[in-house]
Amino acid sequence: MARISFQHVEKTYDNNVTVVPDLNLDIKDKEFVVLVGPSGCGKSTTLRMIAGLESITSGELYIGDRVVNELQPKDRDIAMVFQTYALYPHMTVYKNMAYALQLKKTPKDEIDRKVKHAAEILGLTEYLNRKPRALSGGQRQRVALGRAMVRNPEVFLLDEPLSNLDAKLRTEMRAQIAKLHKQLDTTFVYVTHDQTEAMTMADRIVVMNKGVIQQFDTPAHIYDHPANLFVATFIGSPKMNLTDVLLEKKGNTYYIKNEDLHFAIPAGKVNATFDQYVGKTVTLGIRPEDLHIEKIMVDTYPDAIFNATLDLVENTGSEMNLYFNYHGKDMILKTPSRFDYKDGDTISMAIDKNKIHLFDKETGKAIS
Amino acid sequence: MKKKSKLDFDKTYVWMTIPLVALFFLFNTYPLIKGFLYSFTNFRGYGSYQSVGLRNYLDLFTDARVDHSYLFTFGVAICVTILVNVISLVLALGLNSKIKFKSGLRALYFVPNILGALVVGYIFNYFFTYILPAFEKMLFGSGSSILASQKWAWVAIVIVCAWQAIAMQTIIYISGLQTVPEDVYEAGAIDGSSGWTKFRTLTLPLILPFVTINLVLTMKNALMVFDQIMALTKGGPAQSTESISYLIYNNGMSGGQFGFQSANAVLFFVVIVLISIFQLKFMGKKEEQL
Repeated sequence: MARISFQHVEKTYDNNVTVVPDLNLDIKDKEFVVLVGPSGCGKSTTLRMIAGLESITSGELYIGDRVVNELQPKDRDIAMVFQTYALYPHMTVYKNMAYALQLKKTPKDEIDRKVKHAAEILGLTEYLNRKPRALSGGQRQRVALGRAMVRNPEVFLLDEPLSNLDAKLRTEMRAQIAKLHKQLDTTFVYVTHDQTEAMTMADRIVVMNKGVIQQFDTPAHIYDHPANLFVATFIGSPKMNLTDVLLEKKGNTYYIKNEDLHFAIPAGKVNATFDQYVGKTVTLGIRPEDLHIEKIMVDTYPDAIFNATLDLVENTGSEMNLYFNYHGKDMILKTPSRFDYKDGDTISMAIDKNKIHLFDKETGKAIS
Repeated sequence: MKKKSKLDFDKTYVWMTIPLVALFFLFNTYPLIKGFLYSFTNFRGYGSYQSVGLRNYLDLFTDARVDHSYLFTFGVAICVTILVNVISLVLALGLNSKIKFKSGLRALYFVPNILGALVVGYIFNYFFTYILPAFEKMLFGSGSSILASQKWAWVAIVIVCAWQAIAMQTIIYISGLQTVPEDVYEAGAIDGSSGWTKFRTLTLPLILPFVTINLVLTMKNALMVFDQIMALTKGGPAQSTESISYLIYNNGMSGGQFGFQSANAVLFFVVIVLISIFQLKFMGKKEEQL
């Protein structure tokens, strides 16, 4: 059993900078958890605390049923893949992978079997006698994975393993790592600042900011129900459009209102907290793909339509991104359809009312 | 107006180079050639002389004093090389770790390097002649200077040479240790290496190029030991601490053996070059291309 549990963990460096103030997190056995957040949010520090490369200032960290605060990295039954690969430059690929086993005094034939097996899975068999410098970035990263695999660890830690690879290779390796998780059937903790990696690989995502967990949930739930403005804008690309609106109540129906919008919030979106916001300004969030220019959608939501002048039309091949400014806020509309719009065109667009998000303007917390 | 051509530009560099080349030739190359020519004569440093062909070179191999100086010099050089490199590496590991006053300590350990060899030699001379025997007397009842001992005077030479050489070699080792990426150590820590294993399997192989350089430099410098002997023993007692350089200087300049010691100098030059080449080749094979 390799569940990982942080209980009131704090990390403060010698210079009195607190990176992680009070972390509580339970990662289940065999789960693939991705820690995601902007640079300096404490995600790498959190991972390095699991590895034992950073000491814990206070609180308790469990791996399985053991408190590992004082345990040396080698005694934690973990393996780690570094962003820079951290291969041993003076050893061949074979020796890089065999190193940990040799230190554990594993019998030679067993080492050989394990290394060759890992090399086969990762397609490294023909490179076993090469030194890291003779390998490409992608191959080096596979060696780093292989080095972790042969140890058969309880916990697999990956610190931004794909950020030094080019876009195409990154997509390939993403699939390979996801496959590896299924094959190895162990706990994976993966750190990245790339929300696509987080969305595609994770069983559950931890979104962090300033050392504090913003939300810990499945990718789909985080995307559809962001807990606050930070999560809403961090997850999703292009990011969520935000604008200030007024919340009104007439009878039992709640309305959103501003200069050119006035529509009823679908009953399914409403909850008990709404009453305290009536008459107040709240932040309305709309994902770029929930804004529509197709005629059928414009006809469906006649009360949730507004006009905007396009600043930029971007064609990515599979979809179009239309950039515009709405009441001083830069916004994006994403559509899979092809239109012949040009910069400067004024168009009408409809908001998919069932997909709107409302946030407390002061605290940023989600209210819908 | 005359346009500056590319040729004029190049001439500037020529004019910058010529004085230096001339000086180098005058004070280095010319004496070298002159010395080489004298090595085939029986020149005493003054008066007339004749060519003796290769006799000086043949005599070098049968001269007991020359033989002894080679034995002594190589003995000292090997001891100094081992001592310096072991101590420097240990110091560098310490000064590269997370300790307080790191920069201050690094500066302190570098001080011996900026002192002149003769100055250091005379300070140690005082230490070995007066202070150490006094301590010995306090502890054991009697004491004498090791500089006066035919058996132990060489140890004093080794200590002084090493004390001064450690400064520079430590700095080189520190810069070597800084080239090893921290994440390699972190990966090593997770893989289970620590202490001696970590040093043997990760640190040492990765700083091997620096070990090579240090071995060659220390060996070469120690083979040319001269100032320390001038300051400490002047080759004595009873010629027991005569190094090759000291013998060349002493007998060549004031012993009437200018031609003969010129031959010795040429041979010594060849020996040092051969040793350095051997070290570089041998260690080069062990070094990893990173």
